[in-house]
Amino acid sequence: MARPKKRTLSRKPAADVAPPPPEPVRPVAVVDMGASAIRLVVAEAPPGEPMRTLEEASRGVLLGMDTFTRGRLEAPTVEATLKAMEGFRRIMDTYGVVRYRAVATSAVREAQNRETFLDRVRLRTGIDVEVIDGSEENRLTYLAVREKLKGHEALTTGDALLVEVGGGSADISFLRKGEPIHSGTYALGSIRMRQNLANWHGSHEQRTRLLRRHVQNVVGDIRREMPLREAKHFIALGGDVRFAAQRILGEQNVSEDGFRVVGREPFLQFSEELAAEDVEQLVERYRLAQAEAETLVPALLTFRELLSETGAQSLTIPEASLRLGLLLDLLRSSEEDGTSLLQFRRQVLASAYALGERYRYDAAHAKNVAHLATRLFDELRAEHGLSERERLLLEVAALLHDVGSYVNLRGHHKHSQYVLSVSEIFGLSRDDMAIIGNVARYHRRATPQKSHLLYMSLDSETRVIVNKLSALLRLANALDADHLQKVKDVKTTAEEGTLVLEAEGGGDMTMERLAALSRTDLLTEVFGRRLVFREAATRS
Amino acid sequence: MKAPARPRRKEPKQPELFINRELSWLAFNHRVLEEAIDATSPLVERLKFAIIVASNLDEFFMVRVAAIKHARAEGDTTPDSAGLTPERQLLLISERAHEMVLRLHEMLTGEILPQLREHGIRIVSFDELDAPQKATLSRHFRDEVLPALTPLAIDASRPFPMLSSLSLNLALLLGPGEGEEQPRLAVVQVPGRLRRLVRPLGGDNNNYALLEDVIRAELPSLFPGQTILEVAAFRISRDAEMELDDEGGRAFVEQLEEELRKRRRGQVVRLEVDDRISEQLLGLLSQRVGVGPDDVYRIKGPLDVRALSALIELPTLEHLRDVPLKPLPTLSDAELQDIFDVLDQRDVLLHHPYESFDPVTALVARAAEDPDTLAIKQTLYRTSGDSPVVQALARAADAGKQVTVLVELMARFDEQSNIRWARSLEESGAHVIYGIRGLKTHSKICLVVRRTRQGVRRYVHLGTGNYNEKTARVYTDFGLMTSDRDIGEDASAFFNAITGYSDPPRMKKLAMAPTGLRERFLALIERERRRAEAGQAAEIRAKLNSLVDEEIIRALYAASSAGVKIQLNVRGICCLRPGVKGSSENISVVSIVDRFLEHARIYSFRNGGDQELYLASADWMPRNLDKRIELLFPVESAECRAKLLQALDAMFQDNVKARVLQADGSYKRRRPARGEDPFRAQLELYRQAKAASERARAGAGVTLEPLSAPVAKA
Repeated sequence: MARPKKRTLSRKPAADVAPPPPEPVRPVAVVDMGASAIRLVVAEAPPGEPMRTLEEASRGVLLGMDTFTRGRLEAPTVEATLKAMEGFRRIMDTYGVVRYRAVATSAVREAQNRETFLDRVRLRTGIDVEVIDGSEENRLTYLAVREKLKGHEALTTGDALLVEVGGGSADISFLRKGEPIHSGTYALGSIRMRQNLANWHGSHEQRTRLLRRHVQNVVGDIRREMPLREAKHFIALGGDVRFAAQRILGEQNVSEDGFRVVGREPFLQFSEELAAEDVEQLVERYRLAQAEAETLVPALLTFRELLSETGAQSLTIPEASLRLGLLLDLLRSSEEDGTSLLQFRRQVLASAYALGERYRYDAAHAKNVAHLATRLFDELRAEHGLSERERLLLEVAALLHDVGSYVNLRGHHKHSQYVLSVSEIFGLSRDDMAIIGNVARYHRRATPQKSHLLYMSLDSETRVIVNKLSALLRLANALDADHLQKVKDVKTTAEEGTLVLEAEGGGDMTMERLAALSRTDLLTEVFGRRLVFREAATRS
Repeated sequence: MKAPARPRRKEPKQPELFINRELSWLAFNHRVLEEAIDATSPLVERLKFAIIVASNLDEFFMVRVAAIKHARAEGDTTPDSAGLTPERQLLLISERAHEMVLRLHEMLTGEILPQLREHGIRIVSFDELDAPQKATLSRHFRDEVLPALTPLAIDASRPFPMLSSLSLNLALLLGPGEGEEQPRLAVVQVPGRLRRLVRPLGGDNNNYALLEDVIRAELPSLFPGQTILEVAAFRISRDAEMELDDEGGRAFVEQLEEELRKRRRGQVVRLEVDDRISEQLLGLLSQRVGVGPDDVYRIKGPLDVRALSALIELPTLEHLRDVPLKPLPTLSDAELQDIFDVLDQRDVLLHHPYESFDPVTALVARAAEDPDTLAIKQTLYRTSGDSPVVQALARAADAGKQVTVLVELMARFDEQSNIRWARSLEESGAHVIYGIRGLKTHSKICLVVRRTRQGVRRYVHLGTGNYNEKTARVYTDFGLMTSDRDIGEDASAFFNAITGYSDPPRMKKLAMAPTGLRERFLALIERERRRAEAGQAAEIRAKLNSLVDEEIIRALYAASSAGVKIQLNVRGICCLRPGVKGSSENISVVSIVDRFLEHARIYSFRNGGDQELYLASADWMPRNLDKRIELLFPVESAECRAKLLQALDAMFQDNVKARVLQADGSYKRRRPARGEDPFRAQLELYRQAKAASERARAGAGVTLEPLSAPVAKA
């Protein structure tokens, strides 16, 4: 999930020069450090006009080659990165860019020396690069896809598979009516697969066979997580598939709508033809750079195997990228656009429901607890001072607090924490999932302890958040202790030293009252108020 | 950036379809010579052309002939695309160059100098002077010349001195010394830094003595006690180990002399001698400088006629010059002041030298002053430090704007002063790039980025010629000024690529060499071919300076064979052979050599009626497409297209200064047909520009503002 981190470049005013008159909008910039290139986009969105790209720049830097073979970024690669970033900084300065977001994905994320690397970038260029995880990448890319496929049937009706094959991994989401309900990051990165085969001495055919088998194995795993067969649309992203589309459709055929469509059969045939050629032949035939040619076959085979699993008759290839997603996100957050936040929440929840279903949760209970927890959150805003982001984390934790019961009812809160910490929810980062797992962990009797490793591994600020959210979840869960959803709503009134909780609903609430009172420990501790329970007038 | 490697064909295919490029170049220089010979031209203009012919030849020998000689020395016997081996090429070149030199100097000494004499400009021989005049010259020798002289006696034990290429020298045959049998050789260099034309009496008379004659008269004092048997002037040309610049005639040599200062070590490729030299002295001399009889050129009259260019500027010769055609204004002063507003509304196409360069200077100057300017980026190829463009860039950098300048050093006119102004730009805070490794930046582009209330706007000037106000008065070039978004974005991407901030991009409207320009040209030609095959009318018209690239020529043949009508206007070298049945019967080639140096590159493709018009910095030469950074840009606005097409039509309509290339490689002058009026494109274009300029000025007095329908105010 987007942290509204403030990323601004400091700039010195030129000496003896009057500062330019204030302008309504400054251009913004995004930087994407990928596995085989570092890219920059500068764009602007003048009031009342659509976003406009001002500049795009790209430098081929093979970060992935280092990380995926040696686990670290080597000196020449670091130098090349610094040089590229210095140039980008100059381009950004042309436009007086202040707001930007620079992100790095798996090739940097997995490098052992990533901290020193990013520090050098920061010192040399003043650009703060943020390492994002797969789910944030998914969320941003999905934003771009939505933009490019606005109103397209792949997002409005039926199921669609959204696949991006990157250098380090493949990101795959299963969309139902445009909402991602399953998503995951899989070991199908084109550079990584190529590297794994690099030291294997065999004929080109043998290598391709090995590659294909690996892809099929992973696709087999994906099939168990997502109903691939049900997908009627196949949305494909990435440079490799764009290249394939250009070759199949001809260079000129760039859709005005921002996407291309390639038939299933031509694509399967083309990727099969390409797989028969080795890298040298590809370089020669298509005038590709070595690095581009190397990823082509692994990537296209991945698309091919996934496409074969679906019922899609064509590939839809939008001109969407992580960069576009970053831009949309950046420009949107500046507008504080409420509707898109709502949309994001819907996507996260859709994904959370799907996860709940997989662990056969009690949907009615889960949704009731989530409702009550967020009601409490809203009622107590003045007390906890948390933001919309934490509200959503609480909602997800409330929805999924019981998933551990699928493993074993005994100690299910611990199982919940484990399950949540390894699950993926569309748009939520690993840090987000750690918070959710912890909040779910404390929905029962136990409260956070110094001996709880997963709790203690959080920084102190985050632990406070967990405490507050847990306090609310414990109470909300207690209010539906018998899983009958008797309590429909809650209201709170702060009175001197106490918090009066008014529960609305029907029927006898003795059980709920007792349960609630037994779970006020954390609440009292966190908010410094004693809870008083009051039943509201029955309106059933 | 790396140029994509191109496979080279070893064996020439169908050599009969190609014209050898050196012979084609010589044919071009012959067309320039024709202009010098043309008795209907004003005398000074004829002299100017004669000097251009001579300095073109200097360049040609030092670069092209030197390269082929080098190949021959390496044992290279590979024929060129026209099927000629280096050996054979050298033979043909020598033959034609000798004819040309003979004709040139006959004409100079037989026509031009005598006619100048009639107008009071006299190159006098020493014998014509009286005693006081001789005394003046003697004094001049003692005070100015002597300190710069180093007489060099040559004998077998000493190596022949490293004489500078293109320098003038005197060879002396000295009587044998004591105990010797053979006469000895001595050499005196004529100092190149001193004025070659010396006024014996000073004042405003126009009598000149040649510096070498002044020295010759004083030689006995330089070789005291020795017998001077004979004195003869000579000049050598050495391998300059460099590439030709295609930016036009005369300027070559000025540039070259700088380069040469570092490159004296080259082989001698030509020896020019005073026609009156004895066989004995010539034999000694050619043996010592190492040239064969084919490389010796006997000159009637003064050697190295470049010195005569001092006469061209003489104010007294005003009536012997062409009527000056002053560049005309296209934009009013108010429009120059608000150049951004003008470009917000329309594109501006400038045709130099008919039209003034001022709008380009104004663009950079306004950008430098405008507080909303964020950045100015520009390529500068052969520009001097005192140019208003450079000064505006310095002001912009001083004002804290981001200024990026790519200075092409290989093309420098004066290296030292060039580096000085580039450094001072850097000190002002500009980002100066001194060229791209392995690639010469030949594109001419200027980008201004401004912030406006509607967001960022980009203004681009793209040209076929340099940002050089001086050559803009002599070279015909086009410049396009536009605020088109796609072109602006491409321009930014271009600068990111050449500054190394980005890998070469895929462009929207521009095409760039060496990454894609060749492919683009081939695709455009190929598209016409396919249209012709599909039975559509298909036509290519191109105006350029040189057509050499074999791949392009073959594509043109294929298009011609498919029925594409191809009209080419190639000023200089053209290796394409027109009018060959089965290959090029649909191709015609004309060349215009006139008072302005034709320099614009225009490419037009019929495209099934949806005609595409392009301008470019590149010719169809391998080096433009593979070794240079070049740009091709479209002309899209209706107004600009109409103007460009009108100019293109005129260039093909010329029947005064146009020559038609024949299938045998020779050029035939086009004459007005019976009943047809003479049409001289350059004068016609000036006339048109003048009419347009006057129309604009007449219109500028009254502003007609059409009113739109009244709108009820809320």
